[in-house]
Amino acid sequence: MLLLLAALPAMFWDGAADTAPALRDAGIQQILVPAARLDSWKSVPGIVAEAADLEGAVKLLTPTVNYRVNEAGATSSPWLVANGWRFIRRPEGRYYYDVTGKQAALAAAEAFCYGANAMIRTDAAGLKPLAGMLAFLRTITGEELPPAADIGYIDDGSAVSGEVMNLLVRDNLLFQLVTSPDRRLKLNVKLGTREYPLEDAGNPGAVAHEVRFNLTDEKRSVRIYGSSVVVARLTASGDHARLHLLNYAGVARKVDGIRVRVLGQYPKHQLSLADGAGVELLDYTLEPGATEFTLPELKTYAVVDLSR
Amino acid sequence: MAAGARLFAGPVTEPVYRVVSFYKPAALPGMPGPYPGQVVRVHSENSIDAQSDKVNQDMVRQMIASGMKTLTGDSRPEDAWARFISPRDVVGIKVNCSGAPRIRSSPEIVAVIAESLIAVGVPAKQIYVYERFDNQLKTVDYAKYLPEGVNIYAAETTRGAILGYDPKTYVETSFFGEDDTRSNMVRLVAETFTKIVNVPNLKEHQASGVTGCLKNISYGNFSNVARSHNTPKTYTRSFIGTLAAVEPVRSRVVLNIMDGLRGVWHAGPFSEMPRFRFYPKQIMFGTDPVAMDHKLIEAIEEKRKAEGAVSIFDRSMSHVGERNSNPNINHYIREPGHVEYASKLGLGVFDNASIKLKAIEL
Repeated sequence: MLLLLAALPAMFWDGAADTAPALRDAGIQQILVPAARLDSWKSVPGIVAEAADLEGAVKLLTPTVNYRVNEAGATSSPWLVANGWRFIRRPEGRYYYDVTGKQAALAAAEAFCYGANAMIRTDAAGLKPLAGMLAFLRTITGEELPPAADIGYIDDGSAVSGEVMNLLVRDNLLFQLVTSPDRRLKLNVKLGTREYPLEDAGNPGAVAHEVRFNLTDEKRSVRIYGSSVVVARLTASGDHARLHLLNYAGVARKVDGIRVRVLGQYPKHQLSLADGAGVELLDYTLEPGATEFTLPELKTYAVVDLSR
Repeated sequence: MAAGARLFAGPVTEPVYRVVSFYKPAALPGMPGPYPGQVVRVHSENSIDAQSDKVNQDMVRQMIASGMKTLTGDSRPEDAWARFISPRDVVGIKVNCSGAPRIRSSPEIVAVIAESLIAVGVPAKQIYVYERFDNQLKTVDYAKYLPEGVNIYAAETTRGAILGYDPKTYVETSFFGEDDTRSNMVRLVAETFTKIVNVPNLKEHQASGVTGCLKNISYGNFSNVARSHNTPKTYTRSFIGTLAAVEPVRSRVVLNIMDGLRGVWHAGPFSEMPRFRFYPKQIMFGTDPVAMDHKLIEAIEEKRKAEGAVSIFDRSMSHVGERNSNPNINHYIREPGHVEYASKLGLGVFDNASIKLKAIEL
């Protein structure tokens, strides 16, 4: 089934109309403003304003990475602050970010990646990064494909369940919400069952670990090698797949290459990369039952369209 | 390509390895090579001044010539080198800079090796001094010592960068449940070099017990290997030999020259605490990394015994801890058994009774 094209995230700006030059300089052309300011913005040339209200919208966390530098070892991976699970839990929800500086670009990319209805409030330092990302997102066209999932997850709506979903997202264990086990999926997960006892859910990381173990790496639709701060989202239908890649450390440090494995053979590809002119996929290979390639750098966000 | 059982688990008792390589072994793989079980050790009191740390380059040149002649039985060093290297080869000199700047493959030794390669007809531009990490490599000014034209290369210009590695040649496994389960071979090793000269140091290692020939050509030639350590457990026992045996590493490492002018007997591979440095004043030669590392174990054990420290084979948890300024405390349970394990993969001779050591004094 083909879905509608993903909506762009919108910038929420509560500054007065005399801040318009700063917005224009940054390349911002459309904004959402508090209803009380709408009239003053209506007369500003070059910027289209609409009224919006943050009231009732769910505030999101600033997407980022917290490095745990004093915890050396094989499993002390960085802690990703990501919102993907919230979008999956409530795809119809209204959301907003309150982010500063370059984080605004990552926030916009994250929301777009999940097709979320999200507003982004930022500061003056965030205007240019956000405008740049929004301009990039406008270039990502084509039909939106349904999310690909390996796992059916039965969400009981609890905080613990939400945290398990958060870790599944961060660990690139692709899932979709189901209300009952779906035999078409490779694995179904419900907390409180024999496989996933509720008493173990106090450690959501261990639950995610168990899910991965039961699914097996071989059956994962997407694998990322070379970075622990990149989150993937895959949509697919028929002969087409679209892979979204978000670098949660993008603002602080670009990723110097990741190797990606996607199940299914896709001989054709097209890369769209924010802040990455001239970059191409390397070592593109078709393996038995899978496609592999290297993305040589990832600053914030990339979209890879795959097709047969 | 060999497929293993389900890879992901963790932590595991014995890891399952999936080795992916499309390279075929040479008719006579470099390891253990033409001299299995043979080790030549050349010692000279005048090779390095323990007070000033200054290396006597002329003596190093004599030691290397003597070692190569003794190993091969040739009367001229250039004939000895020509047994391993031809003018058409592209040669990687695998140095070790993990303990730099205080302990590293001495540039004086590396320079003599490069000169020897050039002497048998290898153009300087076909010689690469290489290491994994650029920041470590840069602490040693190899360029100052090397003949003009010799390349100096690091696989990772920034930590974690993957472009210096071959995406099609790797070992896949999971030790502790880490998500990135691949360790890829340095791309130059896979795609460019036809021969490799391995130049490790003489060091104790907190995880693997010792770090010599095998560790330098395994962990030094693959990405994402530190994941095998997770205090106090490490999987170095089987991982080191497994990596070293992957083609084309196994075939192309044709010579091991262990720099033992300086040594580290505790808290290695680093050298942050001066009291754990010492001066063995020796260089070892061989094609068999297992036999040479067996002699390395003996050297480290002898030094530790002399210093009153526990054996590297000690596995008591009472000796595992953070404060490794105490030579009886270590961060990990050491795995010096990796040397014997490698022998079971056919990389060399571990049985001491079958190892022939020729000791030369200059």
